[in-house]
Amino acid sequence: MSLKKNTCFCCGRAIAPYEAAVHFPCPQCGDVTIWRCERCRAMGKTYRCLKCDFEGP
Amino acid sequence: MAKKKSKDTESTEEKEKKDDKIDLDFVDDFVEDDFIDLEEELDLLDTEDLDKELELEEKLIDKDEAQKQLYLSCGIHIGTKLLSGDARRFIYRQTNYGLYVIDLTQTDKRLKIVAKFLSKYVEEGSDRIIVSSVRRYGKEPVKKFCEVLGCRAIVNRFIPGSLTNPIIDTYVKDASVVVIIDPHADKVILREAQLARIPVVSLFDTDDTLVGIDLAVPANNRGKKALGLVFWILARQIMLELGKISSEDEFPYTLEEFTSKIIPVYRQEQTPPQQRQQRQQRQRR
Ligand SMILES: [Zn+2]
Ligand SMILES: [Zn+2]
Repeated sequence: MSLKKNTCFCCGRAIAPYEAAVHFPCPQCGDVTIWRCERCRAMGKTYRCLKCDFEGP
Repeated sequence: MAKKKSKDTESTEEKEKKDDKIDLDFVDDFVEDDFIDLEEELDLLDTEDLDKELELEEKLIDKDEAQKQLYLSCGIHIGTKLLSGDARRFIYRQTNYGLYVIDLTQTDKRLKIVAKFLSKYVEEGSDRIIVSSVRRYGKEPVKKFCEVLGCRAIVNRFIPGSLTNPIIDTYVKDASVVVIIDPHADKVILREAQLARIPVVSLFDTDDTLVGIDLAVPANNRGKKALGLVFWILARQIMLELGKISSEDEFPYTLEEFTSKIIPVYRQEQTPPQQRQQRQQRQRR
């Protein structure tokens, strides 16, 4: 049995299913799905797209 | 302007050439041919194609300049006297009065990115995009924006639980993006979007923090004209992304339709200084 784990794009930790994490397509290229964990969202940490190097928020 | 300039330069060059010729005629006859060739080349260079290219370049420069002037005239770049750590990367400079000025190039870039992002969620008559404004100057731009694109506007009080509690009547079932104007004023909807795992797009002034925001647009969110301009440009860019209009000039709405018509209080009650002094004296007694 294998579970697909999503990792946070800001800190690199695995995201637990009960967390209030968020995912959305990359605003610039739209190909990569960006995941942010609860803590990084609450602190407003920066994320970076793997494909187009877009830095947000 | 460019034509005149080119003609002037041409005439001066020709004069120089003639002067050179007169000097060199005495020295050598072979050199003359070279000069004739050079003149022919100059004539070849000054064809109509070059003028057309110059005109095109001028048009592009004019367009950029007009866009910049529009931004500057609406005061979209003016920040506040406070500066948060998160806003430090969007700052251009500080004025002598202590106001921080927002970098216009970043605002322009971010507006286009946000339009691209929101165009994926636009559906006529659905609740996928929620636009909220508690500020008074943001109500009319938000209403017009939602009327143009067919999304849901919240301009009155946001009822708590509208994004998290499925039992109440005002519950929005299929919300995908939340757009807010001010993270300080719209903090209830920001907190609920954070709990309901919905991405948040927000305007971002120099005194705001990035807590709970997933995509920020650095812009002035206090001015009447600035808010109107931001939503006008967003609506135009989204229409362009969706392919409803082919160029920017075809957008059927004007900037005045998007700006709020509220007259500020300090302009309504402009009392003469004598009356003001009398009122102050009465208050002292
Ligand atoms: Zn994280
Ligand atoms: Zn990307």
